[in-house]
Amino acid sequence: MSTIQFDAATRQFPGSARPAVDGLNLDIADGEFLVLVGPSGCGKSTSLRMLAGLEEVDEGAIRIGDREVTHLPPKERDIAMVFQNYALYPHMSVADNMGFALKIAGMSKDEIRTRVKEAAAILDLGEFLDRKPKALSGGQRQRVAMGRAIVRNPQAFLMDEPLSNLDAKLRVQTRTQIAALQRRLGTTTVYVTHDQVEAMTMGDRVAVLKDGLLQQVGTPRDLYDRPDNVFVGGFIGSPAMNLVRVVLTTDGAQLGERPVPMKRGVRAALATEGAEDATLGFRPESVEVVAPGQGFPFEVVVVEELGSDSFAYGNLVGHGQEDGTTLLTVRVDARRPPAKGEVIHLRIREGEEHVFSRRTGQRLSAD
Amino acid sequence: MNAPAIRTVEEAPAALVRERPVAGSGVGSATGAGLTQILLAGWAVAVIFPFVWMVVTALKADPEILSSPWRLPAAAQWDNFARAWTQARIGRFFFNTLLVLAGSLAGTLLVSSMAAYVLARFPFPGRNVVFYGFVAGLMFPVFLALVPLYFLVDDLGLLGTYQGLILVYIAYSLPFTIFFLTAFFKTLPNEVGEAAILDGASQYQIFFQIMLPLAKPGLIAMGIFNFLGQWNQFLLPLVLMPDENRYLLSQGLYFLAVQQGYQNDYGALFAAMTITMIPTLVVYVLFQRRLEAGLTAGALKG
Repeated sequence: MSTIQFDAATRQFPGSARPAVDGLNLDIADGEFLVLVGPSGCGKSTSLRMLAGLEEVDEGAIRIGDREVTHLPPKERDIAMVFQNYALYPHMSVADNMGFALKIAGMSKDEIRTRVKEAAAILDLGEFLDRKPKALSGGQRQRVAMGRAIVRNPQAFLMDEPLSNLDAKLRVQTRTQIAALQRRLGTTTVYVTHDQVEAMTMGDRVAVLKDGLLQQVGTPRDLYDRPDNVFVGGFIGSPAMNLVRVVLTTDGAQLGERPVPMKRGVRAALATEGAEDATLGFRPESVEVVAPGQGFPFEVVVVEELGSDSFAYGNLVGHGQEDGTTLLTVRVDARRPPAKGEVIHLRIREGEEHVFSRRTGQRLSAD
Repeated sequence: MNAPAIRTVEEAPAALVRERPVAGSGVGSATGAGLTQILLAGWAVAVIFPFVWMVVTALKADPEILSSPWRLPAAAQWDNFARAWTQARIGRFFFNTLLVLAGSLAGTLLVSSMAAYVLARFPFPGRNVVFYGFVAGLMFPVFLALVPLYFLVDDLGLLGTYQGLILVYIAYSLPFTIFFLTAFFKTLPNEVGEAAILDGASQYQIFFQIMLPLAKPGLIAMGIFNFLGQWNQFLLPLVLMPDENRYLLSQGLYFLAVQQGYQNDYGALFAAMTITMIPTLVVYVLFQRRLEAGLTAGALKG
């Protein structure tokens, strides 16, 4: 167990125009579960592989505990990794797979057996120890990969999209199991995923990356309530945040028939920028239905009823959207959803709007 | 004695002919399929008949061979095999061959797999030069190398020795085996190697404990392929193995055929040929599926 520190760590692949990971600064606390999330090509896997020692670090440093490991070979870093395709050794039994690292380390056979048994018991793999990976289901293979990591009792677990090969139901189940296991073992964990739901549900903190740059790091609640920029706002949350271009007025922004009020600090920030418009973001659940004239008209195109929630997808009547094609999403009363084609009037709850600069994409905060 | 080798090479076009009608449809393809069947049947007869005739003849007494070559033997002359094995020293040649092949096959597979592994998975300057150097070896006719090879082996003091022939066999088999195994190693998942690195394994441990077992289908395919090729090798032992006591089977058989011209022991000659062919036949029949599986695995993904 250990802290992990990325200090301006940079990886530039030869022949590539921009760095895959660009000056990553990240402090991970002892025992923390940190999730790296971002769209494909954002550098999250590269960051993890740099930490593992599978990828070189061109600039900056990486520390595990008090030790600088930037240029140490993987085996001297005392970390264990779970791969996306599990990377089990196909010709070895489950027990041999889990005990391989211990065998290489020269541990006695008895001790290997004891530790493999312990790990197998934690993961409910006891009856499969003699089987080959080929004879296991996807979920069981995933657990063997986990088992291979935990028998070593390493300083940190590194997980590279370990759930993406499972079917949807098993993924949700395993997600909880991994999070619970990590809490129980208390081992510092860095977890890579492209799935923001996984990130939000599993991580103590979540780091969002895009184009090799760290966008924001914080607790899931932080990221959801106070996204630093348009990208994080749109990426975190499902359904995604609605982003609308609005023209500024003297005391807010024009949206529908009524202006959306903006805090003075936000207005001041926009004024210093000399902006005439801004990007207004609001979560699907941040709206309430009001009488005509009290908010903005919204034409419902599709209604999705999920039982506990209902979401209405549609267009703002008479208002251009950020990219012109995506429908806006709002959460509506699950018991009384609007009909398709209906025009309803909505208002953003006070204080739940997010205003982003169109020039920098940064969130403009009142405080 | 070259029949099994010929068969392995000719199998490929036969397989292509067999598959062609599947792609098409209608009356034309039905006729095509019928024709193919006839062609294949003719092919099978052409290949199987000489073999059967050889085995039958090996069981006949000498006068029978000459007087009634097409009949079955009146009484099976198992004695022919005994004479071939002991008097004609086929037994001796057989073990010489086994000895050389045991060394050369193990050496070929070990050296090739190590070279192929590095060529497939580690980028280094000049990698392609090395790789194409090996591939170029495929195109070099062994006849051209024969004279310098003779002097080289002689200078090394290895002329007429088992180890000399083993070394030459290994070198002779490297190009294709490396070419094939490189493609094979490229198909193995990278992550397995990386997982082993993280588990603390050294490069040698990764190679011998992880990668080599994973490459087993490819190694088996190359083992069989080289076994058939090296078993049938005639030219190299003829030049490099002048010591009569260390003759290999192919040489011994040739020696025997020349000798039989004076001794008129045709039964023993045919028995010797049968003995020579049986191992290749057994290997081919037993491992045919694995050979095909290994070859196509490399071909499709590599």
